[in-house]
Amino acid sequence: MKILPPLYEALRFLILDIQKQLQTIQDGLEREDPTLFDKSLERIDYIENAHINLLNRAGATYCADSCRNERLNIQCYEHISTSLKALSSRLQELTYQLKQMKSLKLIQKKPVYQAFDSLNKGLSLISAAIESESLGLAIDICRLQVRIDKTCDQQLDKYKKSLKTGQQTEALLQASFILKDVSIMGQALLRVGEGIISANVGQFIQIDRYQALEASLSELDHQLSQNDLKIHSMGETKSGCTISGVGTASEAEHSILAIFKEGKKRKLQEEKAGIESWHQKFPGIAPEVYSYQKQGDKASLLFEYLTGQTFDKLLLEKDNKHLKKGLNTLFNTLLDIWQTTRIKEPRSADFMRQLNKRLGSIYDVHPNFNLKGLQIGNVKQPSLEKLVEEAEKIERDLQVPNAVYIHGDFNTDNIIYDALTDQISFIDLHRSEYMDYVQDLSVLIVSFYRLTYFDPDTRKRIARSMEAIYDFGHDYAEQIRDRDYEIRMALGLARSFLTSTRFVLDQEHAKSMHHKGRFLIEQLIQLDKTQRKNYMIPKEIFHD
Amino acid sequence: MAKNNQYFEHESLQDKDAIISYLKALTEGIEKGEILLSDEEETLLLKPGKISLLRIKATNSKKNSELRLRLSWSNYEADSDKNAPLFIKAKKASKSK
Repeated sequence: MKILPPLYEALRFLILDIQKQLQTIQDGLEREDPTLFDKSLERIDYIENAHINLLNRAGATYCADSCRNERLNIQCYEHISTSLKALSSRLQELTYQLKQMKSLKLIQKKPVYQAFDSLNKGLSLISAAIESESLGLAIDICRLQVRIDKTCDQQLDKYKKSLKTGQQTEALLQASFILKDVSIMGQALLRVGEGIISANVGQFIQIDRYQALEASLSELDHQLSQNDLKIHSMGETKSGCTISGVGTASEAEHSILAIFKEGKKRKLQEEKAGIESWHQKFPGIAPEVYSYQKQGDKASLLFEYLTGQTFDKLLLEKDNKHLKKGLNTLFNTLLDIWQTTRIKEPRSADFMRQLNKRLGSIYDVHPNFNLKGLQIGNVKQPSLEKLVEEAEKIERDLQVPNAVYIHGDFNTDNIIYDALTDQISFIDLHRSEYMDYVQDLSVLIVSFYRLTYFDPDTRKRIARSMEAIYDFGHDYAEQIRDRDYEIRMALGLARSFLTSTRFVLDQEHAKSMHHKGRFLIEQLIQLDKTQRKNYMIPKEIFHD
Repeated sequence: MAKNNQYFEHESLQDKDAIISYLKALTEGIEKGEILLSDEEETLLLKPGKISLLRIKATNSKKNSELRLRLSWSNYEADSDKNAPLFIKAKKASKSK
């Protein structure tokens, strides 16, 4: 975690004083010297001071323009300090109880000493864990909580048994309370580890979530020693899932072993089902699932990290070589998938119905797109709602070929191309289903256009990629005698151009997509039946 | 690559008939795909594409009224030398078992 000297300094004083507090109590216990208990209480003021000091410095470190990560880092310092303060307060509580005990015999037990040792060890690890770049030590701190809990439970069980004899009940109860306090200190230690892990991962991780990751990892058949574990945050998806890469700290950052994704249970269940459906229908295209864990309405999924690049990244290479190879490998893969998965039943994509459903959310982001019909002299232009209504009628009459298994969210960043092995993989498979192949193609074309890369060379590569996908589809349509490809493609493109504006905040770019979508529909509804047969999508639509 | 940006501008007072003939000339140019604009020094040949962005702006006030017509399109075909298609047509033989 990032070292912020003023905060770190205050934190180190805090740790030092708590260590002294704890050590004096341990000594008092071992030597049966109650004066040491009083001495331990003298640390309280120092601890209080150090904590307040850290909070004040944290307040001063925050500034209006600190970025999210900086702020998180400061918050983690505060979290650690507050947890340590809680630990110290428990120690204080425990000291008062010890002072009241007539005999310390019940407390002078091996498990109790062990628990204290664990606490001590935890405290001594904190500085090193903060300074370390890997998570190993922070995980160790978290692990100590489990150990402390276990030893406390052991001893508590013994007390319980003794209580049944009915002798020295009062002392036994007092001792039980003390053990409870020790166990709660273990919890505080866990929060300290949580703070360090959160700062390193770049997002606040609650420890129950962390345990989910750990459980997943232990299922992963890989000899990961805990010290080597490294997790780095890779961002968030539109559906609100967080994604992290899990890899080894010892090697370079490329050595990500797995992707850890967590979020709403429903989403991740869908994703898992999607991946599994692909394993069945077309093995080798979807990542391997290592583990799936659920808890309440949250779930986490640990799956294979696929090497290669997504198409939005391939576009950024100056050279067309990989892009071209990647696209054509994608096309061949699609041909294979379509041939393998075709069922004997057509399923219309219902592009206009999809569009109709999303009109509201388009206008939410771009209220200026919600226009009434227009009239200049004799020329009339209907509203978008009217256009969609008209186009829906056309779509109903179209011939749809037999359905194939489609990706369902076929965006540039959901397709990975590995240039080394010349292989394509799919990710984000929660919407896969049987449908018209044009659904995936049209979504992919627009997902290229939608990218907010604006330098002219990249724009050119985008246009050419779009054209290539369209050409590929056209070629395939000829092969399977799909006579309504052009019109369905136009409707699919219109749908995606119009609905994708929701994700595009650049006004000019969004407007240009909106215009293209409208244009295609306006063009289509003006065609008579024979014109429709010969309709070709104007290639200008792929250019800016 | 396009050389430097070319520029043409014109402003004059015209009667109704003349304005109609200007607009007609533009319409015919759009139809042909070529609009020639020239004064004594500069000649500018515009090639409107099949698809252009049309913008109409009108304002009306007590003092005056205004109607603006704007057509814009991109000349992407200008450097067609680099425009070899990215899609390689598969040979018919690629039919698998």
